[in-house]
Amino acid sequence: MTLFALTKTQEAGGSVALAAVLAAVGVFLLLPRPRGRFVPGGIAALIAAAAVLGAWLCTTFGNPLPDAIGSALFWFFSAGALVFGTVLVVQRNPARGAIAFAFVVLSTCGLFLLLAAPFLMAATIIIYAGAIIVTFLFVLMLSQAEGPSDENDRVREPLYGSFAGFAFVGLVLFTLYQTSQANVPAEPGQTKPDGRLPAPVLTAEERKVLADAVAKLDAPEANLDGDLGTATARAKRAEYFEEIKFAVAKVVGESRATSTDGSLRARLEKEPARDGKPAVLYRDDPQARDALDRARRVRDANFDSALDDLSGPNPEPARAKLKAQVRKLRDEVALLYGMGELPADNVRNLGLVLYSEHLLAIELAGTLLLVAVIGAIAVAHRKQDKGAAK
Amino acid sequence: MTITLWHFLAVAAALFGIGLVGFLTRRNLITMFLCAEMMLQGVAINFVAFARYHANLHGQVFVLFILAVAACEAGIALALFLNLYRRRRSLDTSDWQELRETGVPAATDDDPLPRPPADPMPVLTPAGARPAPTAEEAARV
Amino acid sequence: MSNPVGLALTILALPLLASVLAYLMRGTARTARLAHLPLVVGCGTAAALALYLLTTMLDGTAERVSEPVAWFAAGKLRAHFTVTVDALAAIMLGMVTFIATLIAIFSSGYMKGDAGFARFFAVMSLFVFCMCGLVLANNLLLLVAFWEGVGLCSYLLVGYYFDKPSAAAAARKAFLVTRLGDVGLILGVFVIWHACLPGMSPDVPFNPLNLSELFGYVVRHPEIHSQVGLGCFLLFCGAVGKSAQFPLYVWLPDAMEGPTPVSALIHAATMVTAGVYLLARCAPLFAVAPGVQIAVAWIGGVTALLAAFIALAQTDLKRILAYSTVSQLGFMFLALGTSGAISPAFAVGAAMFHLFTHAFFKALLFLSAGSVMHAMGGVIDVRQFGGLRRVLPVTHVAFLCGALALAGFPLLSGFWSKDLILESLTEASESGSPYTAGYFALFLVACLTALLTAFYTFRAYFLTFWGPERIPHEAGHHAHESPTSMTLPLLVLAAGALAVGIVLQPFTHWFTDLLETTPSLAIARGPTPARVVAHHLNWVLIGVSTVLALGGIGLAFALYRNGGADKAPAGLDAVFAASRNKLWVDELYHAVFVKPAEVLAFLARVFDGFLDGLARLISSAPRALGAWARPIQNGLVQFYALSMALGVAVFLTFVVFRISR
Repeated sequence: MTLFALTKTQEAGGSVALAAVLAAVGVFLLLPRPRGRFVPGGIAALIAAAAVLGAWLCTTFGNPLPDAIGSALFWFFSAGALVFGTVLVVQRNPARGAIAFAFVVLSTCGLFLLLAAPFLMAATIIIYAGAIIVTFLFVLMLSQAEGPSDENDRVREPLYGSFAGFAFVGLVLFTLYQTSQANVPAEPGQTKPDGRLPAPVLTAEERKVLADAVAKLDAPEANLDGDLGTATARAKRAEYFEEIKFAVAKVVGESRATSTDGSLRARLEKEPARDGKPAVLYRDDPQARDALDRARRVRDANFDSALDDLSGPNPEPARAKLKAQVRKLRDEVALLYGMGELPADNVRNLGLVLYSEHLLAIELAGTLLLVAVIGAIAVAHRKQDKGAAK
Repeated sequence: MTITLWHFLAVAAALFGIGLVGFLTRRNLITMFLCAEMMLQGVAINFVAFARYHANLHGQVFVLFILAVAACEAGIALALFLNLYRRRRSLDTSDWQELRETGVPAATDDDPLPRPPADPMPVLTPAGARPAPTAEEAARV
Repeated sequence: MSNPVGLALTILALPLLASVLAYLMRGTARTARLAHLPLVVGCGTAAALALYLLTTMLDGTAERVSEPVAWFAAGKLRAHFTVTVDALAAIMLGMVTFIATLIAIFSSGYMKGDAGFARFFAVMSLFVFCMCGLVLANNLLLLVAFWEGVGLCSYLLVGYYFDKPSAAAAARKAFLVTRLGDVGLILGVFVIWHACLPGMSPDVPFNPLNLSELFGYVVRHPEIHSQVGLGCFLLFCGAVGKSAQFPLYVWLPDAMEGPTPVSALIHAATMVTAGVYLLARCAPLFAVAPGVQIAVAWIGGVTALLAAFIALAQTDLKRILAYSTVSQLGFMFLALGTSGAISPAFAVGAAMFHLFTHAFFKALLFLSAGSVMHAMGGVIDVRQFGGLRRVLPVTHVAFLCGALALAGFPLLSGFWSKDLILESLTEASESGSPYTAGYFALFLVACLTALLTAFYTFRAYFLTFWGPERIPHEAGHHAHESPTSMTLPLLVLAAGALAVGIVLQPFTHWFTDLLETTPSLAIARGPTPARVVAHHLNWVLIGVSTVLALGGIGLAFALYRNGGADKAPAGLDAVFAASRNKLWVDELYHAVFVKPAEVLAFLARVFDGFLDGLARLISSAPRALGAWARPIQNGLVQFYALSMALGVAVFLTFVVFRISR
């Protein structure tokens, strides 16, 4: 639209006029007459009119669609999960029940996606809907009983069982109500955490800066392995790093007290932390605090480059130290970047967290899997009766 | 209206409850197992929702571990089901109640199941196998 | 090896070792047959060592006390394991091990083929160990321990045929009746200990339980003599129980249910003399309590006469000997009882000498009776056999020697020892003691008893070996003399019974000279001016006792030389009936003690039943609750899960509504 360098008014007028014209053409073409009615052209014109109007509305008054789509998807997926869950419970045929469970898993995965967990979505689908369900269907086919059977056509204590389960649900929901925002009386002067899933902390510009920084730190120019003995090579490399550091510092601030706070703190903090009291924030949600915390860590990792040490006769220790510093800065920046909007780089960040903070648990889970595999083989192994084999 | 944390928690609780009901009432071992997995799904939704709320990844990591444990559980459970099925030719949990207090009568089902209609199809000998002769035929030969 | 304490401890250890070995040899049938060897070898070695110990004692050196080893301590009460070796202990030790060796040899023939052969010898060895420990103990509590040990062995051996109800009952009776006396013994120990408490202080290493320290302390402190007198009386109660004195003698005749070697060793020669030994050992204590002395003498006299009277008309050979044992023990107590009036050394010497000779001839008599019983197929009733002197020539000679010695036939051992006792009685009745009349009465009692002794001993002898030959059908057709392993000890003992008296005492005074080297007897003599009696031959007394012995033998010969156990002299039928029925003492005890106890036990049982019912009632409540709740565990996994879910729901309800309130 900027091709013609129009003003806003001209643009609005043009769009509205275009829409009106298209709509008029469409209706004209569709109006009934004995001959010469061009129905496809009319419909196309009407659609085009609607599209132009919608585009204009969205650009001018804001876009309502993302929220609406999110809500609709939530209702869709949660209804799916609950309906198919109920089907699983009440279905007489266990094979159909397994299929229903597959749909429950798919719906749950949709919810995962809404909750910014795409990796988990994929993993759950693969493991549950793929492996587990298929295996169970296999077992079901092995053991499919013909006609009515005790296990499929009878239930144990239907009244008490239903009552127990739903009493449990009711109590949990009531507890949710008790603890949710809806029931908390508003006290003046205090911000209350609401259940709203918080908006991203980082702006698009900040995210772009951080992504650039990560990319540049990963780029071959950041490689410190080469010969840096000459002053020109060091100067070039120092300039490169300075550029990154400057860009990062614009977002998170600098560690020196006299310097700026960085755009993130400037935007989030109403009053900085002082005398042991926590900072007062504009938006007091856990994500904001977490982001500020992360920003502080990035700030601490924002090193003072010591490239001159590489000129010495024994550059290796200094080089290793420098490389560690670069690596740390890169990881911290990546994590801060990853917080902004969870789906972005979910897998990368998940992997980073898993292998840095939960390494022992990962190992334990792996061991557990191994033991389970061995145990399953041992249990399912059909003991050969030697006499019968002959 | 926006979707809040509470929406997700409520759905998770409902999923958990439905799974619980199924686990308590159904008698087919496999259905029971699937219901238990459904309860795990409810828990997983809880974790992911809180992860989103706190904007960190620990909740998701938890769900990964749940996945791992569920996989182990599935493997072991399958093996056990196979073993149990081999012994009783049934997946009914009520077949296994020997560990009750002595003197307590076994729980039985009183009303009989409706009989399935008789199979109208004739029984065919499998192709390629020599059919076993009846007594009459054996006497003739 | 010349160290007396080391010797004594070796003697003590050998029977214990033998006991353990014999017990271990129970394992297989082959080793069980040889289970007598440890006792024979161990006890024989011990006897040889004891003889050597006696020779080391001859030089009259002071007693040797072993280094005390702490056994246990409770507050001021300190029990030490310590032994004392003096002439008294050495004589006892030699006697016990020598007799035990002979009896062990006898038993190896007598018990051959018995199912409990190894058990028998294990317990016999244990008994010898306990008896040696009792003799050597220098600590009162240690002495009590060994005292109970011999009681236990007695119980085990009397009840050796435990599948026989009468034997089991006799074992129980022996154990319980002696236990009555043992209560007194324990109390006596504590009374004496308590009396000596003022002498104990942290800086003085004085332990009143150690006999060697106790005697000197008691003699030096007249202010505690009344308490010590009480303690002595209680000690004497223990001796009454163990040595079967009136009124607790009833267990000894019943104890003859055990095998005959047991009767010979335990219930004639050694264990029953433990009471005498205790009083001899504690002579310094008794020396300060003349009132107790006369009581001892009277109890002894009454027992001697009573038992001799009961023995008159008994028909069970072993019971006759048992009553005679009781009677002879009464003699020993008579002698001990005179130590208040005359020199304690003389009185103790008389008692110990009679104990010594009695061990020989009574063991001999019992073993001979065992030999008779062996030949007669287990029959011991004198009415069922007779005239055995040609069937059992060796046994006959042995029994005759024993009987002569017991009857006090002149020049034999029993004659000299009885003479010594009579002499101590006459000396006591002529002393300055306030009880001279009592001692004279007791002298007459002793004379009467001596007459009765000669009579009943030879009654048994004539009934068994004289008259027409009668053999009970239990013996079958092969009533024969016993094997050499049984006759050899008989002959050795017979020689002892004949010679040991005349060699050791009347002309040489070896026995009393050796005994008087015992330090405790020197302490007992103390500063009090007692009448010192010179050892000389009192011809009047010798004449009196010769007449008594020959008279008794002659009476028996006149009445019983042709058998007829139930015969009684004319006009004395009632007396003999009383004797045969043991003066109805058992019946009296039964009516006075057992019946009330039974009534009490019945009432206690009723009350116990009531309590039991109450307890059952209370215990039925949880049982009913359990019966009500038990169906909950019905084996259905899903039911359990449902219960859990409901429980969680209830708990959650409580929590939620409590928080929201």
